[in-house]
Amino acid sequence: MPMLHRKQRVSDEIPTASMADIAFLLLVFFLTTTVFNEEKGLPIVLPEEKEEQEVSPKNLLFLIIQRDGSVIVRRGESEQEQVVAYRQIEGILRQELAANENLIAAIKTDPEAPYRHMINVLDEVKAAGAERISLQMVGE
Amino acid sequence: MLRAGGFKRRSGVSSEIPSSSMADIAFLLLIFFMVTTVFRKEKKRHIDWVTAEETKKIDEKRKNILHLWIEIDGQVYINDQALADEDISSVVRPLYADNRELVVAVRGDRDVPYYKINTITKQLQAAGAVRVTFATRLEHRVMRPRR
Repeated sequence: MPMLHRKQRVSDEIPTASMADIAFLLLVFFLTTTVFNEEKGLPIVLPEEKEEQEVSPKNLLFLIIQRDGSVIVRRGESEQEQVVAYRQIEGILRQELAANENLIAAIKTDPEAPYRHMINVLDEVKAAGAERISLQMVGE
Repeated sequence: MLRAGGFKRRSGVSSEIPSSSMADIAFLLLIFFMVTTVFRKEKKRHIDWVTAEETKKIDEKRKNILHLWIEIDGQVYINDQALADEDISSVVRPLYADNRELVVAVRGDRDVPYYKINTITKQLQAAGAVRVTFATRLEHRVMRPRR
């Protein structure tokens, strides 16, 4: 039976030479498809409960955010109000901080104003380098 | 005096990089990264993010960060659990007692009315969790001179 004796030419071993390529390909694929979700945001430390302090009005600068998102600046001791654009806030605050380093930026938001307006103002206040920030709501 | 013959000495060491163990190395790395990967357990919520130029990366361990979601309808979620506004402090207080390093990341929709945020900060203060972050996305605005 000569048919059964025919020699097989195909190797019966698993090819291992390309194994490294396969493994590295998988490694690179997973490395590139991984998305790290970083935690990003504007950090702020709230005052402890019942630790509210009395502040001298001359150390206060009110940034009043109205329902439509417009911002009014009012110095603590004066009654004078000034409507400002978002971009002006940083400059004004920098000036005020240079004059008085104990200044507190009080962000006073209308209850119905969208959250994004408050964040926009907080963003400008942070950009001005203010460390002392107070978050308030109009009518409290 | 230099000896000219010194340069011609044959080296017995193979000059090829051994590639037979390359597969093992690669698989080892693959398995290492697979094992060390931590998947998020929290469900993804749909919110429109607020953006800010001053967005900073929060340098805090993942286990110290508690996400607080506020959807557009004002519904608050912590750990996939829908909460009423007045229950927030009672949920956060034990978490804060367990971990004093806790930072609450407030992830609010951009159009949520502010009184909602105010209620939440009040609740967090009552729970003692005073380290808060308003989660934002980085805003790229047109270049403007820094004052």
